[in-house]
Parts: sequence; C-alpha cells; structure tokens
Amino acid sequence: MIDRSYKELLKMRRFPHTWCPGCGIGAVLKNVAMGLKELGLDYQNTAIVSGIGCSGRMGGYMNFDAVHTPHGRALTAAGAIKTARPDLKVVVLSGDGDLGAIGGNHLLHTSRRNPDITVFCNDNEIYGLTGGQAGPTTPKGTKTITSPRGEMYPPLRLGKILTAQTPYFFARTTVYHLNHFKACIREALLYQGFSFVDIISDCIELNGRRQGFKTAHQMFKWFDERFHVVEGVRDHLEDDELGIAKKEAEVEVKAGAKPEMEEKPEILEEDLKHYTIEELSHVDGSEGRPIFIGYKGKIYDLSSSPLFQGEKRMRCHIAGKNLTKDMEAAPHGEDLVLKFPVVGRLKE
Amino acid sequence: MKQILSGNEAIFRGAIRAGATYFAGYPISPTSEILQQAALYSEEESRFRFLQAEDEIAAAIATISASLAGVKSFTATSGPGFTLMQEALGWGHVVEAPCVFVNSMRVGPSTGMPTQPAQSDLLQVKGGSAGDYYPIAFYPNSVEESFRLTVTAFNAAEESLSPIILLADAFLSHLYEIVDLDVIETEVIPRTKESLGRGRRLFTGTAHDKSGNVKTSDPANYREWLRELKERHFRVAEKYPLYEYLPCKNSETLLIVFGITSRIVSPLKERFSVFRPIRIYPVLEREMKEVAASYRHIIVVEGNDGQYASWTEWAIGRKVLKVPCLGGGFKFQWIQSQIEERLKEER
Repeated sequence: MIDRSYKELLKMRRFPHTWCPGCGIGAVLKNVAMGLKELGLDYQNTAIVSGIGCSGRMGGYMNFDAVHTPHGRALTAAGAIKTARPDLKVVVLSGDGDLGAIGGNHLLHTSRRNPDITVFCNDNEIYGLTGGQAGPTTPKGTKTITSPRGEMYPPLRLGKILTAQTPYFFARTTVYHLNHFKACIREALLYQGFSFVDIISDCIELNGRRQGFKTAHQMFKWFDERFHVVEGVRDHLEDDELGIAKKEAEVEVKAGAKPEMEEKPEILEEDLKHYTIEELSHVDGSEGRPIFIGYKGKIYDLSSSPLFQGEKRMRCHIAGKNLTKDMEAAPHGEDLVLKFPVVGRLKE
Repeated sequence: MKQILSGNEAIFRGAIRAGATYFAGYPISPTSEILQQAALYSEEESRFRFLQAEDEIAAAIATISASLAGVKSFTATSGPGFTLMQEALGWGHVVEAPCVFVNSMRVGPSTGMPTQPAQSDLLQVKGGSAGDYYPIAFYPNSVEESFRLTVTAFNAAEESLSPIILLADAFLSHLYEIVDLDVIETEVIPRTKESLGRGRRLFTGTAHDKSGNVKTSDPANYREWLRELKERHFRVAEKYPLYEYLPCKNSETLLIVFGITSRIVSPLKERFSVFRPIRIYPVLEREMKEVAASYRHIIVVEGNDGQYASWTEWAIGRKVLKVPCLGGGFKFQWIQSQIEERLKEER
C-alpha cells in the first residue's frame, strides 16, 4: 500500500492543477508534501512562502497558511516571518527565475543572514509561465524564445553562490532521481539554518519541445546523462554533481584564544525507531519509499546511493533485507554500508 | 518627563507606544535615525525585532510579511526608497497587512537634493503602485503630533487592514522640540487579524475570492473585492477627518498648508485664514469645500509643483492659487512675497 496520507496536506478539491501535463512541479509538490507529512509538519506549525511563476502556485494547492509574494520576494518574506514567529517552520517553494534573477539580491543576503528556513527551488531552467524565455539558469547555447541563436551567457551557478559563505546547506537533485530527491528534501527540512535544494526539473511544453524532446521522460534521461549522484555530504558540489554540500560556520579564532568546538547533538540509540524484519521488508524502495537495509542490528538508509537511482531503484535486490550474513560473501567490505545514515534498529 | 526629541525619535516612540515589535529598514537620509533607534532598542528589548535589509524592496516586503506573521510592524524611508517600496505597498493592500510606512520627504525626483526638504511625494502616496487601491496617509507638523499620529496610523492600519503612510519631511524629521510623552494619552487598537500558522489561507497578490482561491479571469469577483476594499478604507478614513482650521477675521484669503509649510507660514495667521489638512489622503473633500466656500482666494503653499493644489481644485471645484516651494527653498520672506504677488495678479 502506498502511504497517501500526504494528501491531507494538499487542497485536493482544487485539483486538477494548473500545470501542463509532464511538468516537474507536480513531483516537487507531491514529494515536498510527503516530506512534510513524514516529519509531522502541518498547517499549525508551518507556513509556506512562494514567489511568482508556475512554481509559485504551489502554495495555493497546500493546506497551509501560504504567503504568495510579489515576484522575487519569497526569501525576504520567509525571513521576516521566521523572525516574527520563530515557532513556525518556514518553507519556501519557488523557481529559478524568481529566486535567482529578480530575487537574486535577496538570495545573497537572506542566505548570508542564515535564517532557519528551507527553500525548494524548482529549477526548470526557463521562464515557463510567461511562455519560455531564457532564465538565469538556462544553460549556455540553449535556444529559447528570447535566445533564438542560443543563450549567450553562462548560467548562474547557484551551487557556487550558495556555498561561498559558511554555514551553508546546498543540495542539488532532480525530479528523476526520486530516492535522492526524497533524501534531499528530508535532510533540508531537518537542517537548522538556511537550506536550499536546487531541484532540476523539467518544463516539457515551453522548454523541452523547443529543444527537440518529445516527452518529459526524454528530458529525465537527459538529466541522467548530465548529472550524477555523489555520495555522502561534501564541502562542494561540481556543476554536474547531485548531492548535498554542507558546512558548519567557521569558528572565529581570536588572538591568544583557543577555538571553541561546537557540540554536535548526538542521536541517542534509544531514540531510534525499531523495525522488525517484516517492517523492514516494506521499505524496499518501491513506490517511492526509501531504501533501508539491516546490518548488524542497525537500519541504514541507502536511498541516496548512486547505485539505486532512476530505474535501477526498482531492481535493487538488497532493499528491505537484513544483510548481516550477506556481507561475508560480498566483494566489498562493510565500510560501504557504514557510511550511510543510521535510521533505526533491527528487532532480532 | 519633559525631553528634547526630534521628529524621527517621536515617530519611533509612537510606534513603540502603539505596540510595534518589528522594524525593517534601509539607511537613507533623513530617516536613518529611526533605523538606528530600532537597532538600539532591539538590544534593550528582546521582543522587539529589527532588520537592516539589503534594500528598501526587502525592507517593505519584510514589514508586510512580519505583519502577516502577527506582529505590528513598520518601516521608514525617504522618496527614492519609497519608490522601491511601491511594489510591496500594492501587495500589502491586497493581502490586507496592517502596518505603517513612514516617508520623510526630500527633494526629488530620483536622488534629488539630498537632503533638502520637500513635500513632493503626494502623488506617489496616492498611487505609486499598479492598479486601483485606496491608501490612507497622515502628515503631522510638530514633534508631539508626530508621536500622536504614529499611534493613530497604527490604529488606522488595524482597522483598515492595510499599510498606512505617515508622511514627514526632512525638516520635521530633524526638528527638535520639547515634549512630555508621559502625559500624552493615546488609545491603542490591538491586533485582531489572525496570524500565520492558524489556518489554511492563501495570502496572495493575485486576485482571489474570500476563501483564498486564485481568480484571474472573474470580473464580478474582482469588482466585489475592490468595492469592499474601497468601502472599508473610506470608512476608516472617515473616522480620522483630521485637520486644523485657524480662521482670521476679515480675511478674504485662505492659505492651505501642511507639514513644515504650516509652521513656516504661521506668522501670517494674523492676516490670513489657515487650513491645515492632517489626513493628506483620502483628500478632505467635504471639509475643504465647507471651509473654502467663505473665501475669495485660496492659496496652496506646498513643497512641490502643485500636487495638493490640483487635489484641492478637484475637491472644491474652483481654481486655486499656487505657491510652489521648490528645491528645498522654504524661506518665510520668499513665501510671503509670493503670496502677495499671487494676490496682486488676481486683483
């Protein structure tokens, strides 16, 4: 059974939605809703802020108090809301044009102030709502209706800008790499501080077709060619890498003083959820669920592994199993498993 | 306790009296002191939050967003900054965010003459943002009145559910007078609009129906929405028909002045009747018509090229004489000679 409880967070009576068939925003809306639901976020503890554009319409489909700002101002609004109401979780849903172009100044300064807000950027590399004009993240050479000979300038490198100053949390994922996408949403929502998820998404009708793609799926394949997943948490991501780049604030060292180490909150063993073999077997990556495996009494989340992305996810034979014994026969050591996050304990 | 305060300080104290707990701003003369006061006050009072934004666009958006989040908020700027805030002002009217925008006017357009005083942002106040909306604006002429009117502006904001504009000028902002704030009694209207995190509403600048559903092609819905907004704003404005009228016996001439010009021409009140609108917008149409009826000549003395004069002509339905004080030139002798000249031309 697919867990459809996330639908409580959507205004289902307003469906069908306004977006074109094949658009990536539907996937963003659904998976963000699933992520919010999983973490127990609802209209009483969360506010949604969105900007202008196709992606800005997401707030209107959600069962939350949603603030739909003027073009480009979503981050400023979100920052002020968080300041005035620190008890609220503040989530921004917007697009590359809104956040990167008209809201570029606010992106620089809001990220610098590091408020505890989470930003999901539907990065479809085009101005879709207005008919397909080149946007700030449109790759150089792309033909659009305002770049008939191909976009002249290199794209805005959101990943470089947002990792220039510590602390930062920048994740890049695509709507195609579903498990990675889900893991990024979850990590970003859990992060304390300004977290930004750059979601490479497709606009088939107003961008893809002009480039010769016939279906949204062809665009997904193109994302798979252009990007590859990197494991674990990095300091930086290259332009073709999908993953999470995260860095703590640099500790200022005063002359003659020892730098103080910040204490990281440890996850206590007793806080971890216990899974039976039966429960574990359901978390097998199918139907959009994460990929968990059991190893030496612990449950590891392998969803972000590059080995299990796209269609390979469906063929993942080890998902949902206890692999303690299998490790001996494996051609690799246990370090391959140990680097993934521990999410629970296995009831023997 | 009696103290010497500037107009800017009085505005800030007024906001605190009204219960404001959020200020966002960007440095600009002549209101930087309000930003500085906010920064200092946020150190003393942890409930008070302050943001020095990256520009006036962000300051204005933050002010409105904080208001939606449930706190009383305000911002302060001058002409060029106020221009950048127009986008947010339009948004604030549609999402019904009670807050206060202070605009202390200096010579424009653009950077103009920093920081010579002017009164030339009236048209910007009335309709600087796109579309039809009905802002309410007040304009004090003394330090004490700046304090009182700031509280009034916050109250009107709560009642009209909109950003209220409090005008000042570079003179008034930096004018120091002796006041005793402790003896000034004010009535404060508390926040009643429900803050974020309590419902499933959509606060959008796009046209929408009452339950927050976007309606982008429904003229009937839009008409009804605008009618309600207009009615509410005019009803609240009616509650504050603020003006000062000083009749002078045997005078056939009425001077219409406001803000700093009313202070400068005050020696002339022995010779001419003086009418000072305090609610600058919506224009005091009925009040002005009644007062103007008994005068042969109406002269509007203002720090711009006839912005309020044209509103006066529209309100009272006849021609008025204009004395535009341009480029920060507010000398009493010059204004007096200009008034004499206009009257001579009429005779």
